[in-house]
Amino acid sequence: MKDVGRHPRIKLMTLSEVEDVSGYVGNFNVKVRRKARYVREADCTACGECATVCPVNKYNEYEVGLATRNAIYIPFPQSIPSSYVINMADCLSKDVITCNKCVEKCQKRCIDFDMRDEIVELKVGAVVVATGMDVYDPTRLDEYGYTRFQNVVTSLELERLINAGGPTGGHLVRPGDTKAPKRIGFIQCVGSRSHNRGNPYCSNICCMVTIKNSLLIKEHYPDTEITVFYIDIRAFGKGFEDLYERSKREGVRYVRGLPEHIEEDPSTGSLRLKVENTTAGCIEEHELDMVVLAVGLEARKDGDKIRHLLSLSQTSDGFLAESHPKLMPVDAPTRGVFLAGCVESPKDIKDSVTQASAAAARAGVILSSDKIKLDAAIAVVDKEKCTFCELCVQVCPYSAISASKQNKIAAHVTEAMCAGCGSCAAECAFGAISLRHFEDAQYMAQIEAALAENPQDTAIVFACNWCSYAAADLTGTSRLQYPPNIRIIRTMCSARVNEKFVMQAFKLGAPVVLVSGCHLADCHYMAANRSTVKRMDRLWSRLERLGIRPERLQLEWMSAAEGQKFARVMAELDERRSKVTPEEIEQTRKALEAADKKKVA
Amino acid sequence: MTPTEKQSKLKCMRCGHEYTTSDDLIKVERACPKCRSNSVRRVGEKK
Repeated sequence: MKDVGRHPRIKLMTLSEVEDVSGYVGNFNVKVRRKARYVREADCTACGECATVCPVNKYNEYEVGLATRNAIYIPFPQSIPSSYVINMADCLSKDVITCNKCVEKCQKRCIDFDMRDEIVELKVGAVVVATGMDVYDPTRLDEYGYTRFQNVVTSLELERLINAGGPTGGHLVRPGDTKAPKRIGFIQCVGSRSHNRGNPYCSNICCMVTIKNSLLIKEHYPDTEITVFYIDIRAFGKGFEDLYERSKREGVRYVRGLPEHIEEDPSTGSLRLKVENTTAGCIEEHELDMVVLAVGLEARKDGDKIRHLLSLSQTSDGFLAESHPKLMPVDAPTRGVFLAGCVESPKDIKDSVTQASAAAARAGVILSSDKIKLDAAIAVVDKEKCTFCELCVQVCPYSAISASKQNKIAAHVTEAMCAGCGSCAAECAFGAISLRHFEDAQYMAQIEAALAENPQDTAIVFACNWCSYAAADLTGTSRLQYPPNIRIIRTMCSARVNEKFVMQAFKLGAPVVLVSGCHLADCHYMAANRSTVKRMDRLWSRLERLGIRPERLQLEWMSAAEGQKFARVMAELDERRSKVTPEEIEQTRKALEAADKKKVA
Repeated sequence: MTPTEKQSKLKCMRCGHEYTTSDDLIKVERACPKCRSNSVRRVGEKK
């Protein structure tokens, strides 16, 4: 932190909030609100005299409520800049200066109640999002009595209790009576790995935090009996298994099973719990002096703001999604934005530092180059045809298109922001937008070629480049068999499949058509395949209105690893194809031609 | 079962199975509970 604070080319803006981000890779404009500190950073020497006279006592966030702080305080001992700050919401001089004790005490005269928030505008080439995570709030899972029993603490509270710089000076005491606990129980997976309560994912760090804390306690208080209640111990990092084995050698007992609830003996403050030891196959009762809940990590509650500002996407667990889990693990889907740390997924310090280093290096690539190479496949607007309807603006997952219906301003694509999914081209009913190298005419030609011979024996499959098409590849390389009369047409995204492609295939005699893409949460273009979902609903309704069986149009999501699913879906599609009669195909053709004529008239 | 408030009626385009769900139909991947197909169509208006 100090190195960052002192670095001549790093501008550290603490107590600041990003209010707006506009622009694109290499040209971001960031608006930052620098909140008033009410203490001049440059003058404050952090002597702490001001805090000694402050009469206010408030919840100390850093000490997770195990200590109090004043209204003027230093957030934590190593904070950078090393300067005090006034929380004006807590200060007695909030509206009218009534107290003024800190001002009188400060010899350097660095307290300034007239300080106001200021807006700073920055021009940056790349953005690294490292906004961290929240800790699971165990009050939501109260069978462990966190809100009722003082001697039930979270792993974060225990961290402070055993820290030499913590409120007890590193002496482990239980909060109920400040006595040293002799029997401590750790309950794992609190708020993690549960579909019913808390979060369904593993929080990654809790097992090792518990093992580390159990060893620390054993080192300082060797007589303490420690029991860990767990589902699985996940010690998968470098040296982690050794640490786990060491804790067992030190006498930490591991019981496979989670207690159902905790009861307290009010006279002693001891805690009783019953657990099914699934390894031994028996019910055990434990009496403990203190219970530590190994709480999990979750996405920040205020994370949506930064997500919207930077047009990022999130996974179902609420963390921000990376561009590609294997090939671009630190790149956000928006070009020029990178992710580091727990904002992407729960991870430990080592992994966070690794990811941050990678993100900095990736950002450095952009900053060190004069020009940025873009993919050739990007959207192009024919302004003559644009009717300013703004539909393209609404479907673009990257906010790369601007247009105004009100001011009659034709659509404009910011090329550096366009990723080339083609949602806009598929959505535009007037053919005003096309995707370079994946144009409508090219698709129409492919459909025509695929159905040139024996169309009644052919099934048309639109497969997205990243998942379904890769699944087809896997099917081939795995030597899995699927019917030879399937014709695959590659699109960059399933959202590129225009309604007219499907209608053209039916018009040319295709018995069945399948649209396939990445699983909904895995879309390579953030959430572009949600446009596919909406379009499919529209297409099914339209087919029905035209008297065409909607069942002839199918939709399947498959990942690049689902070669077997691809083969199975193709076999089923062919079976469905075989049931479509030549009469039905002819009837479809006539219905579509009549609809076309009606449209022209 | 008739669709109640916030529930949507869906029909599988593969096996014909009809069911209701309270899931967000755009954000949550639709899959037929009977045959696991994703060809699931929303039928009727969302109440």
